[in-house]
Amino acid sequence: MPSQEPPRRRVPGPARPRPAAGARAPRPAPRPAARRPAPRPPARRPRTLTLGSPRPRLRLISVGLTLVMLVFVVRLLQVQAVDAGAYAAKADKYRFQEYTLSAERGEITDRNGIALATSVDAYDITADPKLFTPEESKVRDAPEQAAALLAPILGKAPADLAKKLRTPKSRYTLLARKQTPQVWNQIKDLKKLYGQKAQAPGGNRVNLLGGVLSEPSTKRVYPNGDLAAGILGYVNAEGRGSGGVESMLDPQLAGRDGTIRFTQSNGRQVPTAGSQGTPAVPGSDIELTIDRDIQWAAQRAITEQVRKSKADRGYVIVQDTRTGEVLAMANAPGFDPNDLSAADAATLGNAALQDAYEPGSTSKVMSMAAVLEEGRAAPDTHVTVPNRLHRGDRLFKDDVDHKTWYLTLNGVLARSSNIGTILATGQLGRTQAESNRVLDDYLRRFGIGSPTGLGFPGETPGILAKPQKWSTSQQYTIPFGQGLSVNALQAASVYSTIANGGVRVAPTLVRGTQGPDGRFTPAPRPAETRVVSEKTATALARMLESVVSEEGTGTKAAIPGYRVAGKTGTANRVDPELGRYKGYTASFAGFAPADKPRVTVYCAIQNPTKGSYFGGQICGPIYKKVMEFALKTLHVAPTGSRPADLPVTFEPTP
Amino acid sequence: MTGARGPLKGRAARLGRLMPARSGPAARTPFVLLVVVLLGGGLISLLMLNSALNQGSFRLRELKDRTTALTDEEQALQRDVDAYAAPDALERRARELGMVPGGSPAFLGPGGTVLGDPEPAPSPEPTPTPTPPPTDAAPDATPSGAPKATGTATPDSGTTPTTPGPGTTPTPPATAPTTSGR
Repeated sequence: MPSQEPPRRRVPGPARPRPAAGARAPRPAPRPAARRPAPRPPARRPRTLTLGSPRPRLRLISVGLTLVMLVFVVRLLQVQAVDAGAYAAKADKYRFQEYTLSAERGEITDRNGIALATSVDAYDITADPKLFTPEESKVRDAPEQAAALLAPILGKAPADLAKKLRTPKSRYTLLARKQTPQVWNQIKDLKKLYGQKAQAPGGNRVNLLGGVLSEPSTKRVYPNGDLAAGILGYVNAEGRGSGGVESMLDPQLAGRDGTIRFTQSNGRQVPTAGSQGTPAVPGSDIELTIDRDIQWAAQRAITEQVRKSKADRGYVIVQDTRTGEVLAMANAPGFDPNDLSAADAATLGNAALQDAYEPGSTSKVMSMAAVLEEGRAAPDTHVTVPNRLHRGDRLFKDDVDHKTWYLTLNGVLARSSNIGTILATGQLGRTQAESNRVLDDYLRRFGIGSPTGLGFPGETPGILAKPQKWSTSQQYTIPFGQGLSVNALQAASVYSTIANGGVRVAPTLVRGTQGPDGRFTPAPRPAETRVVSEKTATALARMLESVVSEEGTGTKAAIPGYRVAGKTGTANRVDPELGRYKGYTASFAGFAPADKPRVTVYCAIQNPTKGSYFGGQICGPIYKKVMEFALKTLHVAPTGSRPADLPVTFEPTP
Repeated sequence: MTGARGPLKGRAARLGRLMPARSGPAARTPFVLLVVVLLGGGLISLLMLNSALNQGSFRLRELKDRTTALTDEEQALQRDVDAYAAPDALERRARELGMVPGGSPAFLGPGGTVLGDPEPAPSPEPTPTPTPPPTDAAPDATPSGAPKATGTATPDSGTTPTTPGPGTTPTPPATAPTTSGR
């Protein structure tokens, strides 16, 4: 209806003259006060005020508005297009919450799948000392009261806890690390009890234990304590491996942490918004070649003997002769990886792989292998051993003062004669230099001077100088095992090589890994190299039997019913602190059954100071004990054949 | 509207003019009702959805707590099993039962043949009577008893059977701390 009416009727008539271009100046301004405040004298007629043209104003305003809009547009572009990513990320930071899903660390098991290292849930018990101040707790001795309650649960001294709870101006203190969930549950129950008590009519409304908190964490547990601790190693406070297999295979064991991201509102997940992220990949389980029971027997035997002999340390290696798998590697003294704070730093490593020492007479078997393999002598070759032998700049003697011995080559090994060994290896080449080179070649093929291939952290490759650099005395001492250094596994591997028919199988410590998908990946097959012929190896095994016979030095290692091959060793020891010879290294190495070998056992004791220091006397019994246990565990029956009984001496023809 | 119906005349026109005045409020009531129902329904369904979600989260929380509790229990039980199965613990209990480590192994072949040199194991501690004391005495005997006796008792599993009672009884305590301290 109103639209039909003519518009002009509502518009009032023109009250002012229309502004015209050019007529601006003479017209008086309608509001002089606004446009030109003071200058006009009142004498002038106000009627002549002229209106300013609105056009420039409009223009000005529109330009201003355009500018403002332009600024807005530019800002909009900046926010929405140029820096869009950064702002979106900032928004996401508040909208999304991201958590790390920590991957579960893999287990380490023995060859039968028995866990040697595993991870369990744990809690770090913490506290907020501010809540224990008299103002907050309304009790004068809140720290003491709380400490008295917590001390028996945490197994700590109340005074220590009270001191921590009294930490001034702090809101965080760590009361105990890596406690079991049961401990935290106990504290939680106690907390609840005190909470109820505080809310009860008589209470002071403040929970005494309100300031005790917990943080979830995981704990690495070694269920068998110090068993195989040297091999397993330990983890640091962050849960990363920092010693032994834990460190060697840390990437496989650790797995990969995952993340989860969800939309949050007030710290809570928005249920309908969904979440995204990558799941954590648990670490792989590592299966070692170690047999827990044999390891225990070895560790127990060596620990006992080291204590009895008041020795610095000792090692026992048990190796499967056919596969090269290490069945046990025991160190004494050991440590308990569950409680590193109580461990002596010197015992933390795996000394069996990390100590380089002069092997002594156990290394004579390599000299004999060279002599036999080169065809320079046979086990029954006659060797006349004088009381003293002058070679180079020194006068060599045997460890027992004897009249001239008339020994076979077998007897040289059985009696462990240094002079006989020097004489025999002298036959290896036409000149001493050539002999040195040949011997060095054999030693290196037996694995001396190079790493065992385990890749174990801190492993020593031993020391074997180049034959050209052997000193005058070294070229006569190396044949009987002085002037070169090995680690215990290298020494054991030499005997495994002979036991395995002259083929050296590189030692292995890991059988395989079981991935998070449950699939078992066996470790790569170890390298095999032939060192000596089968004939030589068999001859050596028969010669080594004589050592354990009544005629030899290793009678204490004999196992009734079995044919045992072994060799004693008593070396002068280089004291690592003094840097000169002091004390002895007693050792015994061997395998059984001699005619069908299955197990090699090597034992060494460093610096025995009480009782006998001869390898046959203190390491022989350990060899026997460990070997018996290993044979029983692996169900190795005696072969039932007659021992070799090679002749040791001969009747000199006048 | 008027155009579509055509012009009304006289009373009808006047009546017709009254009509919209009456129909206006009458038509508004259902609309208001509809809006109220929609709003109310929305509110209630939102409430129900919310409580359903909350219930779900309560259940989730409950199940999570249960999982944690069961995991804790499983790990605690595993710990106990490990403690019992540890070689040290087994050895100690075997000795308490009067067992001793056997000597050199001997095998019985399928045809009755004997491989190895069988020999009777060194006889264990005379009677089961000394068995209870070690369990009781174990904790306090450890510091004083063990070091004193080791000199005579520990040389070998094959120690002569004439070793008197206390000879092997302190041995278990000597190994005890490794298991219990774990």
